[in-house]
Amino acid sequence: MAEAQSRPEGSKALLWTSVTVVYAAIMLFPIFWMASMMVKPNDAMFARPTQFLFMPTLEHFSYVLEHGFHWYLLTSFLLCTVSTALVVIIGTPAAYAFARFEMRAKDDLFLFILASRMAPPVCLVIPFYLIFAKVGLLDTFLGLTLAYMTFNLSFYIWVLRSFCRDLPVELEEAAALEGWSKPQIFRRVVFPLLRNGIVATAVLCFIFAWNEFLFAFMLGGRAVQTLPVSIPKLITSQGVRWGEMAVVGMTALLPVLAVVFVLQRHIVRGLTLGAVKG
Amino acid sequence: MAIAGDTITATDALAPLPRERLWYPYLLIAPSMIMLVVVSLVPFLYTIYLSFHAAKFGRVTDFIGFENYAVLLTDPRFWNSIGVAATFVLIAVPVEFMLGLAGALVLNQNVRGRSILVPLLFMPTMMAPIVVGLLWKIMLAGSWGFLSYNVLERFNLLEGTSVFASPEFALYALIFVDIWQWTPFMMLAFFAGLQALPMGPYRAAAVDGANPLQMFFHITLPMMTPLLAVIGLLRFIDAFKVFDTIYILTGGGPGIATETPSILANKMTFEFWNIGEASALAVLVWLAFFAFCNVFYQVAKKRLNAF
Repeated sequence: MAEAQSRPEGSKALLWTSVTVVYAAIMLFPIFWMASMMVKPNDAMFARPTQFLFMPTLEHFSYVLEHGFHWYLLTSFLLCTVSTALVVIIGTPAAYAFARFEMRAKDDLFLFILASRMAPPVCLVIPFYLIFAKVGLLDTFLGLTLAYMTFNLSFYIWVLRSFCRDLPVELEEAAALEGWSKPQIFRRVVFPLLRNGIVATAVLCFIFAWNEFLFAFMLGGRAVQTLPVSIPKLITSQGVRWGEMAVVGMTALLPVLAVVFVLQRHIVRGLTLGAVKG
Repeated sequence: MAIAGDTITATDALAPLPRERLWYPYLLIAPSMIMLVVVSLVPFLYTIYLSFHAAKFGRVTDFIGFENYAVLLTDPRFWNSIGVAATFVLIAVPVEFMLGLAGALVLNQNVRGRSILVPLLFMPTMMAPIVVGLLWKIMLAGSWGFLSYNVLERFNLLEGTSVFASPEFALYALIFVDIWQWTPFMMLAFFAGLQALPMGPYRAAAVDGANPLQMFFHITLPMMTPLLAVIGLLRFIDAFKVFDTIYILTGGGPGIATETPSILANKMTFEFWNIGEASALAVLVWLAFFAFCNVFYQVAKKRLNAF
């Protein structure tokens, strides 16, 4: 901002940068601590006073693999990929339509989409559970995919619409004057320009599905078990397996770490439902 | 070219055939709208239906009118849950707001290496709530947790039990976790807002000899108000429905000390199988959310020119 102009730039930058770095280090310390627990032997973990140095061990990793947690990882991955793909396929045209065309009751439809996004998941899990139990969708891949539509499809339409509105309408008009049909315009003009927005929004949907706990826990849990749901399984009758929990927790964290670096500016836009353009 | 009653917009050029123009957008939204009706409207209507029926242990029997609502509204446990949620939201959100704004102002100075720092700062917000819960269980676990041993015990704040099992402190511990998780969101949303402010007013103010404090109160704050309102509202709505972290860290306990309406509805359904009353609670929560949602939409649309 303008106020910094006349002062010695270097020292001020150093001050504010170190303030931010120290703040970030304190805030992220719990994550480092959990990461260290992945390779911390149990006796060092429970030591009083806190033990900072220890001989690393791989026992937690081998326990996790022996008990088939890689299958939960695979389930999570497949579920999130399929539900996100479905969202992109049916949501992209809808987002475009909401951004570009006049429709009857458009505002009401739009508010309905927002309400779907905002609805507390706990309120949805009750009817979902009863309906799914009746039609045999409990603990199935399809059931969870459908349940994830509630928050992800509405989110996707809402946010992608704001990306659509950023596109200059003149290009589409020019293409229309060339005599292209609307599907052609969508495929050849809109889609290529919208690709970044689609990827950013879809990746956020993937992460929301990846992080989801309540639906996966209540509507799935046995046959279809995702990674977040598998974490409480490590509270066993012989005690809580903290090291193993740290391994699974860090695994669940990895895609998130990748995403925050790749998406950067788009995250703000996504999380504020397009109200703030990051 | 315009059909009666239609507004003429720039998109008219996209519409060579009036008839095609009528159904084309509806065709585009049809799959999504059908899907949302199935996964969102149908569950909502079904919940309303359930809330007017006697439904225990999964069996829906007689229509009983508003009885479920009457029972719920006279249940002290319901009012307790409202109180818990109100305490949670009214402490957590303002703290997140202030810390977020302060953080955004710092970040808006000439901080170097933002492309690395900003994503790292975002980590807590983007993490799975279950992992957030796990993280703080580890940090605050009874006798050996890093914080519970090195801070809480050393300064005699709490001994012998986990903070999440303490009737007085459990709720505040949850608030602390929420602040840890969501302050980055506020901070980076506000930062994005600061970055989008025009430079002109600051240059003019600098020429007039205004100090940074004056600039903040007379330029930054007024220009940021709509954004602050929208983000604050959004966070307010989200904080009310927080479920996962509470469920994992305390499960609503000890006793009912941290039982929010979300936790209560979940217990009524999956522990007591009292589905009629749980549905009544869900309907009330839902209606409250519609109201909030509408306010958010109107404020964001009118004041921020978003959407």
